[in-house]
Amino acid sequence: MKIIKTIRKFLIENFLFEEDENLKNDTSFLENGILDSTGVLELIAFLEETYGIEVEDEEVIPENLNSIANVAQYILKKQGSLK
Amino acid sequence: MTFSKSMLEIDASLEASRISDFIREMTFKNFKRKGAVIGLSGGIDSAVIAELCVHALGNKRVHGLILPEKESNPISAEYAKKQAKKMGVETSTIDITENLESLKVYQRRNEVIKRIFPEYNDSCVFHITLPQNLLETDRFNYHSITIEDKKGERQKKRLSGGDWLEISACQNIKQRSRMIQLHYYAEKNNYLVAGTTNKTEVVQGFYVKFGDGATDIEPIAHLYKTQVYQLARHLGVINEIIERPPSPDTYSLPVTDKEFYFCLDYEFLDLLLYAYENNMPLDTISKTLALKEQQVERVFRDFKGKERATWHLRQMPPSLAPLAISN
Repeated sequence: MKIIKTIRKFLIENFLFEEDENLKNDTSFLENGILDSTGVLELIAFLEETYGIEVEDEEVIPENLNSIANVAQYILKKQGSLK
Repeated sequence: MTFSKSMLEIDASLEASRISDFIREMTFKNFKRKGAVIGLSGGIDSAVIAELCVHALGNKRVHGLILPEKESNPISAEYAKKQAKKMGVETSTIDITENLESLKVYQRRNEVIKRIFPEYNDSCVFHITLPQNLLETDRFNYHSITIEDKKGERQKKRLSGGDWLEISACQNIKQRSRMIQLHYYAEKNNYLVAGTTNKTEVVQGFYVKFGDGATDIEPIAHLYKTQVYQLARHLGVINEIIERPPSPDTYSLPVTDKEFYFCLDYEFLDLLLYAYENNMPLDTISKTLALKEQQVERVFRDFKGKERATWHLRQMPPSLAPLAISN
């Protein structure tokens, strides 16, 4: 899926650099220290810009943003609600 | 190992004397300095350090530097002076606003704020906070900015990563400018700079690298914040300082340590931090503190995240050279 590829690329380029071999679609960002407080804000800005969505504060929760799979699902849900 | 709510109670008299011995030995024997200078912020940690230095070295060998800037809470300098007077410690006050202006700290930072709130002007104040619902729900930490206009009306927005980094980089110059003044005073008088960072701050990375962390000795870095309060009561720190909510006092709109960084009250935070560091069993922690295991896990995740994000603060700059440490 294109969304998954795009998010993976963003994470590797901005947070993991050369250490991406363990990044699975269900790898928890929180448990594995992939995103700190600044990283979360960077990811949100990227999603808002790339997918034309607005991430509400109450949506900044692990259910939506804690793994590549969660993020992809969240984007699809948001885009669906935009249509 | 047992775990109880009284776990962090200390024998304040014994601890004060142990730390005083440490300060005396470091100052006279190791550093071979004549005294100690402390940045008196009007907060609990610097008041305790000043008291301990007076115990260790005598009040004539201790100097308090009060280093306000235009966004400091004016009560801070007032409390710092009152505390110094009580100890018979001489102080100097140096307003660092001009230093910060020359480094364009306010200008650069305000440009960022104006991008977020175009109506922000010199009569507005602001602060930064994290979400405070750490115990209630699984969530991420992210920084939000709140501005308040002269009518007291507030607006709040989540920051972007880039804006947070730029605001934070500007704000940190405040602590670094203070450290320049402290080292200047220390060097010209052959004193050392006594640091004021406590264990809660050290392990969670709540200080500025080469700012308030750039000191010669750290006499309370082994004590949790609640233990610093126990020492403060024992040493007779003035009540105004003891009763004051702890704050970084670097934002023009007041904000507490809890709102800005820790998201928990120190009483809870310190016990949980102790439990985390000592690998206490989850069920014991949850029973002792009347929390659900899931809540404890949330807090531990937060601890781990902050510990990981700030690991470099606690290290010497990594290099390829083997470190040769000698006395």
